[in-house]
Amino acid sequence: MPSLNSLPFSDPGRPDTRSGPRLLIWLELGQWRGQVASAAWGTLHMASVACFPAVVGVAVQAVVDRSGTRLVLAGAVLLVLGVLTALGDTMLHRTAVTNWISAATRVQQLLAAKAVELGAVLTRRVAAGEVVAVSTGDVEKIGWFVEALARFTSALLATVGVAVALLVYEPELGVVVAASVPVLALSVLPLLPAATRRADLQREKGGRATELAADTVAGLRVLRGIGGEELFLDRYRRVSQEVRRAAVHSARMWATIAAVQVALPGLLLVGVAWYGARLALDGQISVGQLVTVYGSVSFLLFPLQNFVEIAMAWSFSRPSAKRAARVLALRRTDVDGSEADRVAMETAADGNGAAHTDGAGPHKAPLTGELYDPATGLRAPSGLLTAVVCGDPDAAGRLADRLGGHSPVAAEGEPSALLGGTALDTVPLATARSAVLVHDKDPVLLSGTLADLFDVPSSGRVSAPAALAAAQCSDVLDALVRSLAGEEAGSGDAMRARIIERGRSLSGGQRQRLALARSLVADPEVLVLDEPTSAVDAHTEARIARGLKEIRAGRSTVVFTSSPLVLDRADRVVFVHDGMTVAAGDHHELLRTTPLYRAVVTREADERPEEEGGAGGEAPGADRGDTSATAGTAPGTRDDMSMEEPA
Amino acid sequence: MIGAPTPEYDPSAPSHNSATTLPVGSSATVRGYVRELGRRHRVAFAVLLGVNTVAVVASMVGPFLLGDLVQTLADGRRDVHLTRTVSLFLAALAVQACFVRLVRLRGAVLGERMLADLREDFLVRSVALPPGVLERAGTGDLLSRITTDIDRLSEAMREAVPQLAIAVVWALLLLGALAVTAPPLALAVLVALPLLLVGCRWYFRRAPHAYRAEVASYAGVASALAETVDAGRTIEAHGLGERREELSRGRLKNWVDWSRYTLWLRSVLFPVINMTHVLILTSVLMIGGGFALHGWLAVGALTTGAMYAQMLVDPIGMMLRWYDELQTAQASLARLVGVREVALDEGDGALAPDGREMAADRVRFGYLPDTDVLHDVSLNVPPGTRLALVGPSGAGKSTLGRLLAGLYAPRTGEVTLGGAALARMPAERVREHVALVNQEHHVFVGTLRDNLRLARPAAADDELWDALAAVDAQEWARGLDGGLDTEVGSGGATLTPAQAQQLALARLVLADPHTLVLDEATSLLDPRAARHLERSLSRVLDGRTVVAIAHRLHTAHDADVIAVVEEGRISELGSHHQLVEAEGAYAALWRSWHG
Repeated sequence: MPSLNSLPFSDPGRPDTRSGPRLLIWLELGQWRGQVASAAWGTLHMASVACFPAVVGVAVQAVVDRSGTRLVLAGAVLLVLGVLTALGDTMLHRTAVTNWISAATRVQQLLAAKAVELGAVLTRRVAAGEVVAVSTGDVEKIGWFVEALARFTSALLATVGVAVALLVYEPELGVVVAASVPVLALSVLPLLPAATRRADLQREKGGRATELAADTVAGLRVLRGIGGEELFLDRYRRVSQEVRRAAVHSARMWATIAAVQVALPGLLLVGVAWYGARLALDGQISVGQLVTVYGSVSFLLFPLQNFVEIAMAWSFSRPSAKRAARVLALRRTDVDGSEADRVAMETAADGNGAAHTDGAGPHKAPLTGELYDPATGLRAPSGLLTAVVCGDPDAAGRLADRLGGHSPVAAEGEPSALLGGTALDTVPLATARSAVLVHDKDPVLLSGTLADLFDVPSSGRVSAPAALAAAQCSDVLDALVRSLAGEEAGSGDAMRARIIERGRSLSGGQRQRLALARSLVADPEVLVLDEPTSAVDAHTEARIARGLKEIRAGRSTVVFTSSPLVLDRADRVVFVHDGMTVAAGDHHELLRTTPLYRAVVTREADERPEEEGGAGGEAPGADRGDTSATAGTAPGTRDDMSMEEPA
Repeated sequence: MIGAPTPEYDPSAPSHNSATTLPVGSSATVRGYVRELGRRHRVAFAVLLGVNTVAVVASMVGPFLLGDLVQTLADGRRDVHLTRTVSLFLAALAVQACFVRLVRLRGAVLGERMLADLREDFLVRSVALPPGVLERAGTGDLLSRITTDIDRLSEAMREAVPQLAIAVVWALLLLGALAVTAPPLALAVLVALPLLLVGCRWYFRRAPHAYRAEVASYAGVASALAETVDAGRTIEAHGLGERREELSRGRLKNWVDWSRYTLWLRSVLFPVINMTHVLILTSVLMIGGGFALHGWLAVGALTTGAMYAQMLVDPIGMMLRWYDELQTAQASLARLVGVREVALDEGDGALAPDGREMAADRVRFGYLPDTDVLHDVSLNVPPGTRLALVGPSGAGKSTLGRLLAGLYAPRTGEVTLGGAALARMPAERVREHVALVNQEHHVFVGTLRDNLRLARPAAADDELWDALAAVDAQEWARGLDGGLDTEVGSGGATLTPAQAQQLALARLVLADPHTLVLDEATSLLDPRAARHLERSLSRVLDGRTVVAIAHRLHTAHDADVIAVVEEGRISELGSHHQLVEAEGAYAALWRSWHG
């Protein structure tokens, strides 16, 4: 028998994701041993339960015949049957649950692997909620069908067996029963679609109510601060009552199904009793046989439940399997991606031309040197702190992504950024990521202890305390120490404090600084930071800028910012406007020489018309990408800028 | 290997969850609430038990008639009124089918009503919590109560409570019927009782905890994946993919371990139940058969009795099936009603501010008993002043802001508005005068109109548009497909954090308090938009007192008075020009910022 000890799988295998049913078949076949075992134990269970009526019949007949010996014999057989039933039932349950868990584990593992494979592009291919919905809801239904199939098989065998036995035992009754069983099995099927629909509606409304309640609670501080509680309570009461009505509406259908399940087999039972009684009155069958026949027909209600169940499992699991198959079929690289790779390779050929592309082995030369983006002409020299000012925050985000290579938001035909002349799009994803760490605007703090948070692949050069100091996290550490509970409270060790999902218990500024510290610990060759201090106050920001420069000494750092406090610390400032590098130099130099730069960083721009309305956005054409206009040196560009000065 | 050890890691243990900050109901509170619930629904309960009794009695007719038939045949008589028997049987069947339907339906009606009461009662109580309690406890704990605990209770209310009630009535009726048809057979049932009791005792001692852990460990699997999905970018950037897969494997392993353990528990329970059934049946047949052989019991009664004994399978199964659900539900119920134990801060309704002058007088305050965050802070804010609080993170700016907004009471000293202590006023009174907007910019699920009207329920659409215009939000709001009817919030149109922040400020414009505390209220807008917004807002808020906690220096620059907060004290106080001339910390910062 397959064992739960060996789960999770060392390799969950490659699923057949061509369609939902194929995925189900793939799962069934992948654990056929467990399915066979479950069907076998199920058959034993059913068979021993099916024998009870016959023995009860024998016992009653023994009393009628006044035979004490046969009565005791029947009792002994009953006990043996009881042991067999207990064994069959328990083992059936064990194998069935094992099958369910195996199928669920396999799908969960596949989902986790898929989520990791898709990484940054996942949310662009499929709604995040859909993946989670597969994990929380669909897996159970898929497992249910996979597992129920084995029990259905045993129920089918048992039903056929009893019908055949009755056919042999009492042919005329047997015919009636054999003809009725399929009718009984199918009788509730017409009601199931409507019942399923109502159940779905109820679930949907229930989900909506939960969402509303959760939403109201999540915004409770706002409500308590400004009012509107009654508005939201009324709204929730309405939805809650709708859920109640939908649930009762759904229950009405299930209640009808329950009534049908009582009435139809009951009719068969009455028919059998009537027919049997007539046979018994005519002396054709004994009293004991009458009891046996009655009991056997009652027994048939038992496997019939499996017939209904498999129909339900199928109708519930089909959409689930379809959704799971769709999610599991997603790939990170698609046609666009390979096109980008090709373009990138050509671009790379202009550089050192030795880009390693097959992704099979380690990269020959370490990725290092100057970071260069052909599209904007942005250059970030090796070992320096380069600050980039970009008027449009969205364009800044896209540029930051491109600097890391394999951009999740890449537009078609966009050239790859080059690091030391190697096109990053052409090196394997993992190599590119470990060379260039793009710290986006909204980095996520993963839940776990603070020590877990800093347990990231790193050079080992920067310790967590050093990074925390550089990112000015002392107040965060104080808050975390205060949050320590239980036995950890005495330790006063912030590294043992727990961070909840997305760091929700911390303020925006605190989260931002912890995330920055994490990236500093990683200590990559090139660190690209997109607005790392946007939620931090000016005092602290100034200190972080200092700390950042010290801790990144000798490494390349690119920081997208418009804060003078950070710009002031940068070795080099690049001003990107309208998708092009238009000026570069140090902060004070640019303040003097480039009026638009001055306008952007000193926030005087809001006094002028919205001249930047349509800026950013599309990646510039290839020809513009080649004109690496490293500005500050291009007077023409500056004139363009000054033309935008208000008259 | 059938046995399984208890897994070491228990994900449902409280220490592994985020600290529970709101109380969990005592058993007295839980009992009180259950009684109240029972009183409210006693009619529905009685109806359920009534229809159930009819259904069960109807189901007993078949075996009774069969026993009668067997008796007649065994007596060798041929005067059977077969038509009458069959008609009776059919009538009973019709009644049974109808009433089984009613039982299911009435069970659902009762369960759903109780469930609706539970969730509505909880929310009603939650929205009445004092703002200070919410501020301290955060909303995470409440959130998990209204989602996870309500979810766990729904199975209990929908199924467990009605089903258990049905099962108990059912079993009692069967035993009663057994005692009436053949009294000795009722005793025969008792033979199996010791086995059942010992087995169930063993099982129920372990089961509730084990199932809680199993459910929690399964939730752990899903939450690990949800986080991997949510943090896709971060995970890819830091090369954490393998670790995430490893984490998911670990969570799965923990779940499998708990499942294996609960499977082991059932591997004991199942044979016990099976053997109980067989023992009942065997002892009924043997003891009853023995009695019948001696002529102390009719064979018809024996047949009927054996059938009744077999029918006991169903209610016993139901009781076992739902009993532990009820135990698990108890824990969730305790968490739900725990909110009732938070004292509602009624405040002193007679207290009302006289004037608009805001003052803090030698205020000391700390979140923990022995560590003060604010030390002896005194501040006077005349009506109409724009005060900016600046200073490094952790210096106590936000704390001071919350005290000025009346969320917390100072440990010593006093924060007053128009001479009246804010902390002693009811929250509803405070917010007529003072409003706090922080970085938490919640967009409620609902229409844009709902999101605005909460601040002024009677507001007409014109007023809503004016408020949106005042915060520079008119343009994007006009661009929404449905205008004010556009569904926003989770599941609706997605607003950017900046738009959400504008929405929060528009609410403030509608609420129209004369004093505002803005805690980094524009931090999520890009710097230029923030400044633009602040300027348009200041036109709307002209004449109002504004306390702005800001990390951008231009906010300070625009203010009438700047207070530099450092290490829980006000270190510098004055206008921008005064502070720049004073050559202190603010002046240094201003120079490096402004270049």
